[in-house]
Amino acid sequence: MTEFSAVDRRTMLAQIAALIGAAALPADALAAPKRRARRFLAAPQYAILGALADTILPATDTPGALAAQVPARIDTLLRNWASAETRTKVGTALANLDTAARTQKKKGFAALSLAERTAVLRPHDAAALKAVPPPANAPKANFFMQANYVADPGYLKIKEMVVQLYYFSDVATRSELIYEHVPGEWQPSIKLTPQSRPYLGTGPF
Amino acid sequence: MFDAIVIGSGMSGGIAAKELCERGLKVLVLERGRMIKHGEDYMDSQMPWELPNENQISEAELERDYPIQRQCYAVNEATKKFWVKDSEHPYTTPEGKPFAWIRGYHLGGRSIMWGRQSYRLSPQDFEANAKDGHGCDWPIRYDDLAPWYDHVEKFIGVAGTKEGLPQLPDGEFLPAFGMNDGEKLFKAAVETRFPGRKVIIGRNANLSVAQPHHEELGRSSCQNRSICERGCSYGANHTSLSSSLPAAERTGNLTIITDAIVHSLIQDPATGKIKAVRVIDAKTKVGRTYEAKIFFLNASAIASAQILLNSRNEANPRGLCNKSDQVGRNLMDHLYALTTAGIMPQYPQDSYYKGRRPTGIYIPRFRNVTESADGYVRGYGYQGGVMRMGGKPQASMPGIGQDIKERGRKFGPWMAFISGFGEMLPDPKNRVTLNETSKDQWGLPILHIDCGQGPNEAKMAKQILADGKAMIEAAGGMVLSQASEAGTPGLGIHEMGTARMGRDPMTSVFNGFSQAHEAANLFCTDGAAMSSSGCQNPSLTYMALTARAAHHAAAFLKEGKL
Repeated sequence: MTEFSAVDRRTMLAQIAALIGAAALPADALAAPKRRARRFLAAPQYAILGALADTILPATDTPGALAAQVPARIDTLLRNWASAETRTKVGTALANLDTAARTQKKKGFAALSLAERTAVLRPHDAAALKAVPPPANAPKANFFMQANYVADPGYLKIKEMVVQLYYFSDVATRSELIYEHVPGEWQPSIKLTPQSRPYLGTGPF
Repeated sequence: MFDAIVIGSGMSGGIAAKELCERGLKVLVLERGRMIKHGEDYMDSQMPWELPNENQISEAELERDYPIQRQCYAVNEATKKFWVKDSEHPYTTPEGKPFAWIRGYHLGGRSIMWGRQSYRLSPQDFEANAKDGHGCDWPIRYDDLAPWYDHVEKFIGVAGTKEGLPQLPDGEFLPAFGMNDGEKLFKAAVETRFPGRKVIIGRNANLSVAQPHHEELGRSSCQNRSICERGCSYGANHTSLSSSLPAAERTGNLTIITDAIVHSLIQDPATGKIKAVRVIDAKTKVGRTYEAKIFFLNASAIASAQILLNSRNEANPRGLCNKSDQVGRNLMDHLYALTTAGIMPQYPQDSYYKGRRPTGIYIPRFRNVTESADGYVRGYGYQGGVMRMGGKPQASMPGIGQDIKERGRKFGPWMAFISGFGEMLPDPKNRVTLNETSKDQWGLPILHIDCGQGPNEAKMAKQILADGKAMIEAAGGMVLSQASEAGTPGLGIHEMGTARMGRDPMTSVFNGFSQAHEAANLFCTDGAAMSSSGCQNPSLTYMALTARAAHHAAAFLKEGKL
């Protein structure tokens, strides 16, 4: 199917829907025909990233990173946002993790169960995030822009993206920690209950 | 021919346009940047996950186009369109002596992204130069400006509390945004331990409660989102687009031309008056001129000096209105980023707040007011806040799975931070000049900015940090993090002083009516005209000086004096 015919098909279906009422059509009839997503990462790397995101923030009593489409969003960032240097660091970090899995479990990280992945990742995470001294040419940090220097900066970058993209996702802001885009009133003092959770904000305040 | 031309549409240019239009003058506003529309050009309605690149500017783009702008905390994908590309707007600095010139070229200028903190200068600020001999004496005193502060505060809407402090005069305030419980404890502890110090809520130009005259302009009350720098579709913060330009527009007297880069002013050698302004079209690079009876220079401190310098001619080889040789000199910015932060383990664990209040706390100046200073003149105030830690967990902490989620759900201790804003002295060596060897894409000489902090600032910075630590500790805190030195000059984004007001034409550029000593129909009311910087955020003062100057300019015009 060519690009044009796909568009034409949707246009036609939309016109039919307008004429006869959308309820008469199957729910997904107006959706673009499913095509294999174009990924920035090669399939094996993307599989490791997906498994890593799912291990860092699995579904528990609330949805996890996969429900928040974290791997696809990171892939988009790697294509559109990341510098060549960041892409290299991320690629190296994914490879390091996969090597650890193969060494310990004789299988690639993506092929392991959640329990096995958790067993591999927990010590890997601790070692990768071990603080190291800043390099001599490190930019000055300030209150708003703090930098962390760790053993595996690529791993930290991935974990930061997983955490950021999960917490600021449509699903997590409704289930894990609430983000209200328009709080309306400022309430300077409210009493906490055992059920209270912190609200999310996008800036330092 | 227009009655008045206002050069620049930002914080002061917007008020100049409003005040002149409301006095019946036909006003042309020239803006060097592009047109943007209130509301439709903002990205304040998107949810975080709807913003391109999760609201981050791509790393390559940051490196290539924003190496200076990126140092400002408010630069992100949603606000990117409001900051200049450094790659397109170069300037030079001496080796090892950086100056961060943070700018936005579009209608409304930096009024779109400003920090909204709004404080009056005090009687002692207007007397400081005369008293300690730095800079030149202000040609006006606080009482000259007080009614204009009233006027501007009422129009823009400033939330705050009346405190009766001589060093920080009260104003016409909207109801204040309240302090949270942590801030109340911090205030009580600091004020008890240091009886000469006060902790007050930050005075901010956000409409805590919109008044009818705000609503007439389409503005409404603040929704406590704290994404003000993206542009506020509610019009809840004062900007040129939400507030002053709509007020000017409804008079029917306003014309706005964007993409109009002012090249220079043309002076009539016979009368000394400015006849016209020479403009280059930013898109076509074609030159043209506009004539008027009076001219307001509101391009921002550095850019206004640039226009005067570039208006040089045979009779005035070092620039227009520059017999004093003060144009471009005395560049000031507040000492900035001198932050101390600590945790407050004893603060109540069962108390929280809701909403994202668009202001913090403020500690007005006490050095050389109620307490002596450690070997320097002038003083500083602090901005800060006290807040609960918690929320999105830090990825840099080891832990995965449910550990992370549990960490995010827990409330951490209260955290307090206070960041000093210190007065910088006017120093003629801190200077903006035309770079004679390099031109921008419009053929204008680029600027060379040579600015550094002196010994007075160094001693002050030391005490800002010492006092910061002492106050956090007095309030029961444990200091966890402290800056070691002030931020790069410019990052305070309070540039001032490059065409100062004064009484003497031989030592200053503009008089007590903000009128050029050497060109009676030229007025300047942006940061350039500031004879000293105080330690207070200066935008409110620019706006009050603008309203006052517009009043006098319109009167002089009517009386046939111009």
